[in-house]
Amino acid sequence: MALINKVLPGYTATLWCQDDANPTPLTDAQLSTWASIEAIIGTSAGGLGTAGIQVPVEAIPAFGADDAVAAFSVAGARTGAKITTQNQVTSLSITSAWNPADTAMLLIRDDGYNGTIVRTYVVAVYDGTDTVAYAFNGMVGGMSWDMSPSAEGKFNFTIHPIGGNSYGWSNNA
Amino acid sequence: MATQNNVIQYGKAIQYQLSQIVDPVPVYAAFNRNFANQPKFITWMLRNVHQPVYTGQTQSNKGIDRPVFQISIFTQQIEDGFTISNQILQALHGYSGQLGSPSEGFFIAKADVMWLYNSYNNEENMAQIFLDCTIDVPA
Repeated sequence: MALINKVLPGYTATLWCQDDANPTPLTDAQLSTWASIEAIIGTSAGGLGTAGIQVPVEAIPAFGADDAVAAFSVAGARTGAKITTQNQVTSLSITSAWNPADTAMLLIRDDGYNGTIVRTYVVAVYDGTDTVAYAFNGMVGGMSWDMSPSAEGKFNFTIHPIGGNSYGWSNNA
Repeated sequence: MATQNNVIQYGKAIQYQLSQIVDPVPVYAAFNRNFANQPKFITWMLRNVHQPVYTGQTQSNKGIDRPVFQISIFTQQIEDGFTISNQILQALHGYSGQLGSPSEGFFIAKADVMWLYNSYNNEENMAQIFLDCTIDVPA
């Protein structure tokens, strides 16, 4: 299997999470190990789907790391500097079309009520053959429901990553 | 960086996929008046093939393609047209996966079907329904 070598539209990305009510999140090392990740990703995105469920998001938000620098300047001098630091993992603000009976949304809602459940999430990018995965551990916060009469009901929530190193990249290649 | 997709593959994939969805109703690439004596048939027309190009001299500095193919459904019975449109909507709207045959098709990230309108052609004595289908093709 080759690594994906093409420009992908956003529609190829899907969000998956562990499906247990009280999951054991993956370790930092497992988060970048395909053999651990593929169980969470469903078969429709090139995984096994044995320990995961798809979160039906409207669109995958930008993910990665927050911008952070250590900066200094010297009084009276023209120069200063910005030194890149190890950044924290970006929170993902997610919008889903609200379906009160959707299993994944109920799981997220229970996590949000609980406030302490750490779950492994995976963003899978799939081209029909191969998969690239970005996995991280996170907790759910900031849940809100928007029942505007002019559009479908929306369920908004934020996944806050846990720990500075609890994310990783992997692929099936 | 992206290669330029081949429109011959688009055509073959659309022809194959529509034929699979509406089988046994015949599917043609363009309208021919001789078809008008058939009780029902479908034609398709591909348009708006375009991968956006980005700055610089490198030809492969392109993005993804989002072409549209129009599906025209012709039937002598109006209800048949609605039945066939429904078959296409159920099969294609929101679809992600292989478009076309396993050997000559390709992966599409999403198909988005817009049901445009229905009409009636008095000369041909045929009811018509038009749908637009946008496909997102990684390249």
